[in-house]
Amino acid sequence: MRQAHRAASVLAAFCGSIFLLFLVAPIVRLIGAGGASGLAHLFTDAELRSALALTALTATSATALAILGGTPVAYLLERREFRGRALLAAVIDLPLLIPHPVAGIALLLVLGRRSLVGGTLLDLGIRVVGSPVGIVCAMLFVSAPLYVSATREAFARVDVRYEAVARSLGDPAWRAFRRVTLPLSSRGMIAAGVVVWARAVSEFGAIVILTYNPKVASVLSYDRFTSYGLDEALPVAAVLAILAFVPLFLLRTLRASRGAAAFVQ
Amino acid sequence: MIEAEALGARVGEFELRDVSFVVPAGKYGVVIGAAGSGKTTLLETIAGIIPMKNGVLRLGGRDTTGVPPEQRNTGIVYQHGFLFPHLSVAENVRYGATDFSFADAIAKRIGASDLYAREVRGLSGGERQLVAIARALAPRPEVLLLDEPFSALDPRRRTLVRREVRRVARELRITVLQVTHDFTEAGLLGDVAVLIDQGRVLQSGPPERLFREPASPYIAEFLGAENVYAGEVRYLEDASPDFVDGATELLARGHHAIEFLTGGLKLYTIGDAPAGDGHAVIRAEEVLISAQPQESSARNQFKGVVSEIATTGALTRVTVEIAGERGGKSAPIVAALTTRSAQELALREGSEVWASFKAMAVHLC
Repeated sequence: MRQAHRAASVLAAFCGSIFLLFLVAPIVRLIGAGGASGLAHLFTDAELRSALALTALTATSATALAILGGTPVAYLLERREFRGRALLAAVIDLPLLIPHPVAGIALLLVLGRRSLVGGTLLDLGIRVVGSPVGIVCAMLFVSAPLYVSATREAFARVDVRYEAVARSLGDPAWRAFRRVTLPLSSRGMIAAGVVVWARAVSEFGAIVILTYNPKVASVLSYDRFTSYGLDEALPVAAVLAILAFVPLFLLRTLRASRGAAAFVQ
Repeated sequence: MIEAEALGARVGEFELRDVSFVVPAGKYGVVIGAAGSGKTTLLETIAGIIPMKNGVLRLGGRDTTGVPPEQRNTGIVYQHGFLFPHLSVAENVRYGATDFSFADAIAKRIGASDLYAREVRGLSGGERQLVAIARALAPRPEVLLLDEPFSALDPRRRTLVRREVRRVARELRITVLQVTHDFTEAGLLGDVAVLIDQGRVLQSGPPERLFREPASPYIAEFLGAENVYAGEVRYLEDASPDFVDGATELLARGHHAIEFLTGGLKLYTIGDAPAGDGHAVIRAEEVLISAQPQESSARNQFKGVVSEIATTGALTRVTVEIAGERGGKSAPIVAALTTRSAQELALREGSEVWASFKAMAVHLC
């Protein structure tokens, strides 16, 4: 019996190790091979600097928009019961499941110059396709569902009776949300925001359809790979990986130090 | 004042239906019911947290249909407190208050101000309840809704806090509605008791009436009556029965002298129960145990054998098996007496004793 347990433990450890190696090895190899030169390129490569700045700016804008629009939607889906709630939740999750170039094509149909929305925006002086606005739209479309889903979970962890008590103490719904639900779910919302930002930074498929130029880091990395080969693409790719990794790492460290589900009574 | 008229609400599959009762202004109401009977749903409906589906709810004489929770001037305390963990204890107490010095004074009276220096997350269940009670009282609500608010307090503290909450409520003329599983608490605190089951009110009124005159055998058993017998109600043609003082007056009010037959037992009482099938309820506290027959006016007196003795602290419950008349089925009668009395009577299982109770101790339903 004990031998069987031991064999099972060894097998589990082996499978787990292979799995971790599969996930970690490419990233470690990438950063190892191109990390140092990537960081060095930051001082010499103006196009890389510009792509990174554009990536950070557009990813931050997309994250801000996801928070602004996604928070009330997540609250609505979590706290209110209404007809069509399941359908709405499924529709919001859909961008996660379709291939990202397909997402880009779908966006192009709505925001392209010949579309009603895209044409109207163009008349108003807002160009979507081939501009940073298009990049933000692509990033938002593919990453916002992650925000809505994670924020819903954050709201779900805050018992609805906290709000009930706040309202019985004189707070209207909005004030109870601001004074109680928001602070109690803020950690989960911040985590959701970081994930959205990292996902936006790494987006390629939808962006490349809407806005090839100006280039964000992911497009630049692809462009250099197809134009000049692996050696030229490596520093850009490594810096991009670091850019996505750092906030996620900080987030996990923060979570671990503060403990999980501290607000659950 | 809380006035509920045919109140209805729905939460998922659970439904609160036709709930009607009144707790007069400044009085203390208690809601009793089994787990899942709808007690908390009722409080949340009154607080406006769960929307009313139908009926009328008046708080302080004001119709609250469509009035949001923050405008109802109600305070709610949940069993688990639900203190805001991101705020200090003092901030919790003062959350809804406009007068902080009053909030602090209430906290002091309840015993929550001693906790001001502590972290909310470090408070015990009982301490959380103290803070939650102070927080609900601090804005001087018109109606206070309490959901098992003393359950986590130790017995000594529970008595003190219970007394203080009642005193504060009286002083501020706050109408209170409290959910409890504790029948002693219901009897001690309540001016009005509301018994609820499966989302419906089974009976409401002064607690002593619920306990002494339950409307059904189910209610009697739920409220802890141990002697509930199914049987037959028969009217006696006795114009002046000798088993109740003032019987003539009762008979003049339309009551009947009654003989209640259950198995081999025959009980006597006066009441207005319809003839035919019915139930008789006798609370264990009304049953006297003696070694010899009583010379009192108790008409219901039976000789039997002690079959079980259960002592819980100061009280002892004695089950006496009464042999049925003319070889009829035997029936158990449970008596509650002080443990000292039980010891004085030197009761043992198998002892022969007399169990007696007054005719007016028999309630028919």
